[in-house]
Amino acid sequence: MEDKKYAADIDSITKAHALIKPYVHITPVLSSETLNSIAGKSLFFKCECFQKGGAFKFRGASNAIFSLDEEQAAKGVVTHSSGNHAAALALAAKLRGIPAYIVIPKNAPKCKVENVKCYGGQIIWSEATMQSREETANKVLHETGAVLVHPYNDSRIISGQGTLSLEFLDQVPQLDTLIVPISGGGLISGVTIGAKSMNPAIRVLAAEPKGADDAAQSKASGRIITLPQTDTIADGLRASLGDLTWPVVRDLVDDIITVDDKEIVEAMRYCYEVLKVAIEPSGAIGLAAVLSDKFKRNPAWKDSRNIGIVLSGGNVDLGVLWESLNN
Amino acid sequence: MACKKYGVSIDTIQKAQILIKEYINLTPVIHSTTLNSLSRKTLFFKSECFQKSGAFKFRGAANAVFSLQEEQAAKGVVTHSSGNHAAALSLAAQLRGIPSYVVIPNTAPKCKVANVKRYGGIVRFSEPTMQSREETAIRVLQETGAVLVPSSNDVRIISGQGTLSLEFLDQAPELDTLIVPISGGGLLSGVAIGAKSKNPAIRVLGAEPKGADDAAQSKACGRLVSLSHTNTIADGLRASMGDITWPIVRDLVDDIITVNDEEILQAMRYSYEILKVAVEPSAAIGLAAVLSDNFKKHPC
Repeated sequence: MEDKKYAADIDSITKAHALIKPYVHITPVLSSETLNSIAGKSLFFKCECFQKGGAFKFRGASNAIFSLDEEQAAKGVVTHSSGNHAAALALAAKLRGIPAYIVIPKNAPKCKVENVKCYGGQIIWSEATMQSREETANKVLHETGAVLVHPYNDSRIISGQGTLSLEFLDQVPQLDTLIVPISGGGLISGVTIGAKSMNPAIRVLAAEPKGADDAAQSKASGRIITLPQTDTIADGLRASLGDLTWPVVRDLVDDIITVDDKEIVEAMRYCYEVLKVAIEPSGAIGLAAVLSDKFKRNPAWKDSRNIGIVLSGGNVDLGVLWESLNN
Repeated sequence: MACKKYGVSIDTIQKAQILIKEYINLTPVIHSTTLNSLSRKTLFFKSECFQKSGAFKFRGAANAVFSLQEEQAAKGVVTHSSGNHAAALSLAAQLRGIPSYVVIPNTAPKCKVANVKRYGGIVRFSEPTMQSREETAIRVLQETGAVLVPSSNDVRIISGQGTLSLEFLDQAPELDTLIVPISGGGLLSGVAIGAKSKNPAIRVLGAEPKGADDAAQSKACGRLVSLSHTNTIADGLRASMGDITWPIVRDLVDDIITVNDEEILQAMRYSYEILKVAVEPSAAIGLAAVLSDNFKKHPC
C-alpha cells in the first residue's frame, strides 16, 4: 500500500498516538459468548463510548488541537458538527485553554448540544443541511480568525482516529477483520490505514445506514456521491465523504454493508442487554452489520473468524432511546 | 486481622483467584472527569456488569462449582436467588457440565429468569419471601441430592467475590476507600477481607437502599437484624446477612451509607449518560452513595 498518496499514513498516526497519549483513554475491549453464538464468529468490541467526551472523536480532535502552533491556537478553533466532534473539539480546546466556536445543526440531539456547553464550547446554530453548516462555519472563521477543524476531512483528524487501530490490534492481535461505522469517513480512513500498515492481510468493512448510504453508492459507482437528505436514527452517520477520506474508502476499504434502522435498534438492544454498554444508534451499527443477512450470506466473509467491531460512541438522549427500543 | 475466625481469609481468596482465573473476565476500571467534578473525589468504577453473566456473582459461583469434588459435582448444584446468583451458578454449572437447579422468587425480573434458562438452569419458582425461597430449595435438594450453594452466606462464595478486590487494588493501587453494594453481604465481606489484607489502611463502606436497610440497622445495634419485607427498586439488594457474612461486616466494614430510590435512579442516569454503562439499579448504588449527603457529611 502506498501510504504517501493518502491524507494520513502509519507515520502520522504513530505521531498522533504519541501526541494525544496524555489526554485520551485507552478504551477496553469487551467480548460476549452470547453474541459470539448469535453471530457465529468471535467478536471483539472496542468501546470508544468510554472515550473522553463519550466517542472516538476526541482522538482526532486532540490531535488537531495539540498540533497547532501557539499563534494559530490563540485565535481558537471552529467547526460544524452534528454532535460528537463538536463536544470533542470543545473539550480538547478547553484542555489547551483556547476558545472553541461550534456550529451545530438545529436537529442535533440534545445530549450532544449539552456536552458542547459542558465543555465550554460557544454554540452557533445552523440549518440541518451540509451547505448551511459549511456556510455558517465559514462566516465564523472570517469573524474570529479561528482555525477550521473539519469533523472528518482533515489529515490531523484522520491520523487521530487512526490511533484507535494501533490500540485495537495491540489489544487483540488475532483480529482478521474490522467493522467500522462510516459517515464522513474520518474514522474508517484512519483505522484502515493504521490497521493495514500493521497487518496487510486484515480486512476492513464499513457499516452504513440504508437511509444514508452515500458511501455504499460511491463505492459501487467509483465516484463520490452525496445525498440531498438522509433518513436514519443513526444521527452521527449522516455526513458525506470528503476529498481526503474518499480515496481511502475507494482503495483500501474492502466492502460496505448497509443496514436498516430496525437492525440498528436490535443491535442497540443487544449492546444494552448483553454487553451492558450504553451505546448510541451510530455506535451499534457495526454489530448490526455483522448480524445482518447481508454479512452472513456473503461468501467473501466466510473466513472471517476474529472480528473487531468499533462501538464508536454512547451519546444518546435516553428519551429517544426508550422510544426506539419500545417501537 | 485474625482472618481464620471468619472462614474466609486472604489465603482462600487467593486460592479462589487461581481456580477461577480461566473462567472469569478481568473487568475494566472506568473513569469520568465529569463524575469526579460532581463528587469532588477521584472515582474509579470497577465494572462487574461486564463480568460473565452480567454481574460479579459469577466469581463466587465459579469458585463454588469448580471446587466441588467429582462425586459431589455429579449430582449438580441447587440455590435460591433473586436473580444474578441464579444465572451465575447456572453458567458455572454449564461450564463444568453438571446440572443446576434454581429456585427463583416469582417476582424476579424477567431478564434474570431468561438468563438462568439461557445458561441451562432448571427453574423452580417460589413466593418472594426468604422463607419460601429456602423451603423450596431444601425440597429440591432432598429430591436431587444436589449441593446447596447459597447466594452469599458461604465461604466459597465469599472467597470468590473477594477476588474482585485483588484485581481492583492491582488496577488502582492508589485507592483509599471502597464503596460496595450490600445485600446478603457476600460481596462486601469478600472485598473487605481481600482489600484490608492488601492494604490495612483502606476504608470499606457498604451502600444499601433505605427501603432494605437491615445491614445498616444491624451495624447500628451490634446484632443481626432482618426485615420482614423490603421496598426498593434495587431488586438485587433485598436479602439479609447470614452467620458467616455478618461477623465480617460487623468487624471489618467501616460504615454503611443508605440511599433512597430517587438517588439510585439518578445514579443510574449518570451511569448511562456519562459513564455509558448499562447498570441495573443495585449496581448504581455505590455511585448514589458517594454523591449522597450522607456520604458528604461523613467524617471520611
